[in-house]
Amino acid sequence: MPPTETLRPGERGGAGGSGGAGPEQTHIIRQSSKYYEHRDSQATAMSVDYTGQWVLLAGRGHLALQRLGQDDGSLRRHERQSKYEVSVAEFAICPSRKEYCAIATSQHIDIVRWGVAEPHYEMSLRGHTRTVTDIDWHSQDPNLLVSCSIDTFSHIWDLREPRKPTVSLNAVCMSGATQVGFNRVSGNLLAAAHDGDLRIWDLRKGSCPTHYITAHLNRVHGINWSHKRETCLATASQDGTVKYFDVCNPRRAEKIITTMSPVWRARYTPIGNGLVSIVVPHLGRGENSLLLWSNSKQTDPICSFVGHTDVILDFAWRPNHESSTEIELVTWSRDRTLRVWKIDDNMLKLCEPSAEEEESRFEPDLSELRVPTPPEFLHPRSILVAASLPISTGDGACSTLPMARSPSFGGGYYRREEPHMARSLTDQPTCSLHHEFSLLNTNMPHVEVDTLDAIKRYACFKICAGGHTVILQVTFATSYPSPSAPPDFQLCQGTTLSSEVSGILLKVLRCNALQRVKKSRTCLEQCLRALVGAMKKKVAAVGGADRSQLLLQSPRLEGALSSTLHDACIPFPRTSGVHFNATGMLTTFAQPVNNKRLTLRQHSALTPRTFSAINGSGLLGNVMATAQRDANASFYLQERMISGKPGKQRAIRQMNGSPVVHVYDTSSMLHISRSMAREFSLDKLNIAETCRKNGEICRQHGRLDLVPVWLLAELIATPQVPHETLNELLFYKDPFKKSLLESLIMHYASSGDIQTAVLLACLFDKCPTGGSAIMDMASRLPPQLNSQISPYHTVLPLDVKSSSSSNTWQQLKQLRSNSWSDSLDQEVKQVQSDAYACSLIRRAKVPLFDQFKRSYAEILFGWQLLSKRALILKHTQNMPPPVQGVEFVTECGSCAKPKRTPKCEPCKRPVLFCVLCRLPVKGAANACLACGHGGHMDHMMQWFEKHQVCATCGCKCLERTSELLALLS
Amino acid sequence: MVSLVQEIDTEHEDMVHHAALDFYGLLLATCSSDGSVRIFHSRKNNKALAELKGHQGPVWQVAWAHPKFGNILASCSYDRKVIVWKSTTPRDWIKLYEYSNHDSSVNSVDFAPSEYGLVLACASSDGSISVLTCNTEYGVWDAKKIPNAHTIGVNAISWCPAQAPDPAFDQRVTSRSTAVKRLVSGGCDNLVKIWREDNDRWVEEQRLEAHSDWVRDVAWAPSIGLPRSQIATASQDRHVIVWSSNSDLTQWTSSVLHTFDDAVWSISWSTTGNILAVTGGDNNVTLWKENTEGQWIRINYESGTAIQSKQPSHLPHSHSQQQQQAPQQQQHQQQAPSHPGPSSDSEHSSNLSNSQLSN
Repeated sequence: MPPTETLRPGERGGAGGSGGAGPEQTHIIRQSSKYYEHRDSQATAMSVDYTGQWVLLAGRGHLALQRLGQDDGSLRRHERQSKYEVSVAEFAICPSRKEYCAIATSQHIDIVRWGVAEPHYEMSLRGHTRTVTDIDWHSQDPNLLVSCSIDTFSHIWDLREPRKPTVSLNAVCMSGATQVGFNRVSGNLLAAAHDGDLRIWDLRKGSCPTHYITAHLNRVHGINWSHKRETCLATASQDGTVKYFDVCNPRRAEKIITTMSPVWRARYTPIGNGLVSIVVPHLGRGENSLLLWSNSKQTDPICSFVGHTDVILDFAWRPNHESSTEIELVTWSRDRTLRVWKIDDNMLKLCEPSAEEEESRFEPDLSELRVPTPPEFLHPRSILVAASLPISTGDGACSTLPMARSPSFGGGYYRREEPHMARSLTDQPTCSLHHEFSLLNTNMPHVEVDTLDAIKRYACFKICAGGHTVILQVTFATSYPSPSAPPDFQLCQGTTLSSEVSGILLKVLRCNALQRVKKSRTCLEQCLRALVGAMKKKVAAVGGADRSQLLLQSPRLEGALSSTLHDACIPFPRTSGVHFNATGMLTTFAQPVNNKRLTLRQHSALTPRTFSAINGSGLLGNVMATAQRDANASFYLQERMISGKPGKQRAIRQMNGSPVVHVYDTSSMLHISRSMAREFSLDKLNIAETCRKNGEICRQHGRLDLVPVWLLAELIATPQVPHETLNELLFYKDPFKKSLLESLIMHYASSGDIQTAVLLACLFDKCPTGGSAIMDMASRLPPQLNSQISPYHTVLPLDVKSSSSSNTWQQLKQLRSNSWSDSLDQEVKQVQSDAYACSLIRRAKVPLFDQFKRSYAEILFGWQLLSKRALILKHTQNMPPPVQGVEFVTECGSCAKPKRTPKCEPCKRPVLFCVLCRLPVKGAANACLACGHGGHMDHMMQWFEKHQVCATCGCKCLERTSELLALLS
Repeated sequence: MVSLVQEIDTEHEDMVHHAALDFYGLLLATCSSDGSVRIFHSRKNNKALAELKGHQGPVWQVAWAHPKFGNILASCSYDRKVIVWKSTTPRDWIKLYEYSNHDSSVNSVDFAPSEYGLVLACASSDGSISVLTCNTEYGVWDAKKIPNAHTIGVNAISWCPAQAPDPAFDQRVTSRSTAVKRLVSGGCDNLVKIWREDNDRWVEEQRLEAHSDWVRDVAWAPSIGLPRSQIATASQDRHVIVWSSNSDLTQWTSSVLHTFDDAVWSISWSTTGNILAVTGGDNNVTLWKENTEGQWIRINYESGTAIQSKQPSHLPHSHSQQQQQAPQQQQHQQQAPSHPGPSSDSEHSSNLSNSQLSN
């Protein structure tokens, strides 16, 4: 792939100063000068040796060396047997130990010396109790190195005394250390990052930190000391900022670079005044950017390095001992490519602070880089400045062309959703199609190049984005790229898009092409990127289900990296829990947490709050381990699983014990009892007798506290003047009984004994001797039944049937049927409202008590005592569910009153006759909404299977009904 | 008073994070870091009836739907997914619906009161809350999102019980259809927020501030119809706070239930809303009950009586907390250092230590 780069000198208002690009007005986009692809490598750590010749790629299964400068791309691989990922690997930085490297795996650090043929494991540094997260060699003393770990300690090792660390630095905090570094200039200072804080030690002053810096709100991913100033360092953090600190002034950052995404690393350039940062896009959607910043200007980067399609895992400077003007950057990414980038003196020059810097704060024009949605893209281009900067790279010349920019599009540097398509825009003047094809980035995400035929002047691409595939054929006219000859785009067979979407996409393509060729520029790459962008957008707009497909485009990233970066926001996993269910059963569990291995609780009595505290995989080194973890391995205890040891599950068991859940029955504490609920009686024939029975049930079940209450209830239920029917109403007007009963019910309800409260409320609910008509009839009943007959009782007493007149029977039956059915005739309502007159429960309290009953009914439902539940619900007021949709109301033929029942009760005649069989309808009925004709459901269905029109009037029932229903909805 | 019904060895390969019994108390669902959800028979300690696999990360919480919708279980996981499972028999489970529109770990799920239909609320570390409504007729799910519900992340969610019609008015006037859906959520911004559905949109109705660290769990007390509402919230700051309001849910008063030894992360109300179970980082399970004077007292599992009455040292302590009514954060902050680990409750023999009855 030929490297391409673009230099964008800013507009200088037409002023003649075109000699060199104004340093602050340039944004360079650069692709790598070399790249090596190692598809099979699973390396998680990378390091460049002192000579700058060798790159070490270390992974779980192998160590591999790649020689830079020799383009065969082959790796020297050395198998390695380890269960664990390599979290970090570092070559020594002193020349005397240039063949040494330190490789941290799990809790150990191996010192490896690279011989001629193969690596020799010299020693193993063991001292950490949790995963080692970072290593740094001392820049002056070849024997010293420092390591930090999740166990919060930073150990300084002397290779001459490898058995134990020479100095152990205790951070005294809860969170593990993520990064550590000796300062470059003197090597006396040491910085370690713990979550968002920095601890600075001065090795001359003992093992207590000399400074605490509350650097970031969120985890610090990278620390880098300045190569020039002893006390300066830069930190990169999850909170999306890079901060420059001077440890002499730890209270505030000197400078801050703000990006919208977490910053993984930030490192000073070894020469010059720059800093390179890796920005990790949120959730893998976005750009994997490597940016070069000037230390004197934080608003926008000097250069972005494009090419990696996945997250950049690490980068290193390639030492260059000959030249002092050029440096190279080596990056290793999850896309399994190793890339080398040149930073030449031009770029470094741009990093230098300029005199004009302060006065002319310049905002780069990123609007041009955005997805060119047609109308926006048509902004007036201002004067084209024909300043060209010849930049030579090691791999060959490439055109460096100016691009006009519009000053009106300001705005700080920020990141967008699909930014990568904006990056490596190449702006060429008229050039041959052949040239354009050769410059085309064949590594564009989502785009597969099928054919590029410069002679026949056409190209084919396969673009897979957003879960759809597009086969695009582009034909170029001979005059292309002249303003009048945009290429022709066609979507070919194999495209999985609807014609509508295809049309939109073609429009996007043509718009983009037109804009470019208007200025006689090539357009192919821009069009392809715009197409990918548009496809993603289309899919994103469709919503949730399709979006998941989008996420899957970078599954590795999705699965592990971005989520671990977010672990700091995820609460610490619960190790214990409680849960009550609807019937008073309590579930509890608790698992002992192994402090030493699992969490860092030795420093604090409190459980840490975030998930990141527990999970070492918040570090990149372990990210892949998490993603590919053994299904049997514990999520938290990966280190514990020693390979080759049989019975993995047993290993966990011994440590943790199998998690046990306890199920308790707490119903007695909640004052509810299933067995009592089953036995309680609500027989209203003799309320006093029922109360006595219920009291006895309480006694049998050990609820002695309730026995007196039921005694009291029995007293309430006993009429003072027995058999005195005429004074019946007086009984219910007794103020003492009413308020006593109410306060009893309220007391039990508020103290949680809903069972007793509801039973009392039901038992003394509305009483039968209500309306005057019934009153009269009741007086004719045998006296002992006077006050106790309940029409709501399911089973009517036999003697009522035998002794009462047919008229009474009829009335009672009607009342009963209405008690839980939906039909409420006016007459019945009358009776009901009157019933309050002879109820011991005031009407105002009825809704509240009904609510108690419903709650209790729900508990009974949970106990599956369905008949008891129905009995309780019978004592609630009718609450017909609100009718949704259309309801048929029939009108009685004789009294012309609307009826919801199949029969008009007062007129004693059926209200609905089937139009087909002419018989009254009792069961399922259906009718046309337009003409109103209808009848038995079966008959209607049979009829309309064959016919379109109504059997009676010729109305187009099916059509019109569906129209009406559509209107209603 | 509390009787152990069954001890179930879950045989999960990793830590268990939640266990919940279904409505009837017959089936137990557990979820674990091994990525699976297991179903057990709650009365028999035999092998799991079913193991539901579908998550790729630790499963944080499970929730049962009301049985009138069938045997439906929802689980949420670190892998950012919410899965709704349905069973025909306790052994056969199918994935009914999978929701993967969160950008970070989903920490909590809760089914709405059955009166509202099959509705599920999910709280995620991406800071948003999703409300998933199932049209049971067509089996179509509709998702509504409350973006930026809590900055940094939402840790817990709980539904307000279906509001009873106001007893002050005649019931026939206030029909049930006017019931308003409400949610309470707790997040990493130390806030507890109450959300109300207002014309298809969720609006923040109340913001309860009293915690000084992440809120780990929230639980809206079930209502038996009394004109009051209570919300319990548990936090990393070791406090459990009970918020009370009258029926109009506008004025909330807070009272600190207790300051625990460690972060508190799981609370649950009994079905009658008068007992609160609490557990946290110290792995002790305690039960609390409000007495008639409005004080929260710890209850003994065996006798069901108050423990703290026997401990005079605790009584003034809880008094001082009770008097603090309004949400005054300063007071909390002052209070936190003044009770550096209140005299350890573990000396009470009645702890459900390690979740096992030990008194």
